[in-house]
Amino acid sequence: MAEHEHQAAESPADKYYFLIRRLHSLTGLVPVGVFLVVHLSINAMVLAPGPVGSEFQRSVERIHSLGPLLAPVEIVGIFLPLLFHALLGFVIIFTCQSNAQQYRYGSNIRYMLQRATGIIAFVFIFYHVWQMHWFGEWAGGGRFRLYDESGGALAATTTAATIQAAWWIAPIYAIGVLSAVYHLANGIWTSLITWGITIRPRSQQAAGYVCAALGIVLSLAGLGALNGFRALNVTEGTAQKTGHSVTAATRDR
Amino acid sequence: MEEDPNGKHPMSATTHIHQTHTLSHEGNGRKISVKVLRQSDPRGGSHWETFEVPYEPGMNVTTVLQRIAANPTNAEHEHSTPVAYDSCCLEEVCGACTMVINGRVRQACSALVDSLLADSPEGIELRPMTKFKVVRDLFVDRSPMFAALKRIKAWVAVDGYHDIGPGPRISPREQDEAYPLSRCMTCGCCVEACPQFNDHSTFIGPAAISQAILFNAHPTARVERDDRLAVLTGVGGIVDCGNSQNCVKVCPKDIPLTTSIAKAGRDTTLYKIRQWFGR
Repeated sequence: MAEHEHQAAESPADKYYFLIRRLHSLTGLVPVGVFLVVHLSINAMVLAPGPVGSEFQRSVERIHSLGPLLAPVEIVGIFLPLLFHALLGFVIIFTCQSNAQQYRYGSNIRYMLQRATGIIAFVFIFYHVWQMHWFGEWAGGGRFRLYDESGGALAATTTAATIQAAWWIAPIYAIGVLSAVYHLANGIWTSLITWGITIRPRSQQAAGYVCAALGIVLSLAGLGALNGFRALNVTEGTAQKTGHSVTAATRDR
Repeated sequence: MEEDPNGKHPMSATTHIHQTHTLSHEGNGRKISVKVLRQSDPRGGSHWETFEVPYEPGMNVTTVLQRIAANPTNAEHEHSTPVAYDSCCLEEVCGACTMVINGRVRQACSALVDSLLADSPEGIELRPMTKFKVVRDLFVDRSPMFAALKRIKAWVAVDGYHDIGPGPRISPREQDEAYPLSRCMTCGCCVEACPQFNDHSTFIGPAAISQAILFNAHPTARVERDDRLAVLTGVGGIVDCGNSQNCVKVCPKDIPLTTSIAKAGRDTTLYKIRQWFGR
């Protein structure tokens, strides 16, 4: 509570308290938030017209053109900031005592949801990275492939095959994506207050509408892409691009 | 008034509304069920006790507590003790009688029984605030709030009592900004409703942040501006706000607390940048 004897001995965590918490806010926006927007936009490419999955394949290839730099960029640019944001987020959650049952104000419910979706998104991202990213290969995951042995496109088909492997995977992705999107959209709204950009109730309300619109657009993109992968005919998609059907074999590779 | 030998009278919102205008001062024998969370000393051990208080038109919760004190017999017809509570001004300007009434933090003096019963006809529930140490019954120790005001130097520092001439002029626009913040009575509503203010958090609370903004806007008190911002950038400062915005909704004085908090967010950021880059 507000009885303070902190001035006496200041630990580094106390000394850099403000900086650390501002970095928490910043990392949530850049790079993590920006990455989520890019990720969901690229996913939505699966819905692009033309041969199934070809636009998605091209978008992913553009990222992979970083070559050997991709892994360090991913680790330093995405995974470490994300881990910092998430772990400090858990520390912050421990200082909270939600009372949304007692005070049912919209902003109080959003406050509670911000913490709940943070936890859900964190667990989901672990699952998702294990399942799709080559980081997860050693543990039986890492299902995403860009090419097959003969250089045929596999980005869309391996993603679709992973999503379609069991009936419960798509719902998990839907919950995970919606949690991450909510956490970002509401996080932008609170960060505008945190950094002192929206000061008055009217500007905060206006920012609320903009963030809600962003959240709806990102949700539609995310769920649309998910549905695209869910509905994608894995056998056909592979055959179309590569000229031969390799689905079952590449999925198990 | 005599105790009703049959005890409880069932109440309903409709009968209550009709009766309000036709009742004699004794309230026609109708009784209000008042459930109080009691605690005999600061060491804890609380229990609920229900009282049946004769209804009177125009009652507030303070009147209810006065009637219980005059006749401290509980609903089981056992002789009890008067319910302890803090109070002073009885007109919602001192903040002393703040308590949790029907699940919402507010002042007992401005909580009117008629409107409480219109919302919850089954009766009135009184609890002490949960974020402070209970002294006894509904009486809590709000000293952490005053300690927070000392930390942020919520005053205009003067060198002495000699005449130092007129103070600087404050424009009407600045006055309009400052006046709502000056209405704060340190009652505790904002911290009681704040999910970030609790015993596993060091958060200083919305009231103190708003007072820091008030005094930082004052041309004389501005001298200690950086001292206030240093506290707000420290442990338990502005960054511990979680933007649930409950504070502004429960504030009985309609203080724009979330505006103060956002201003503090801006001022502390600029203060830290000034510090790091040596102004």
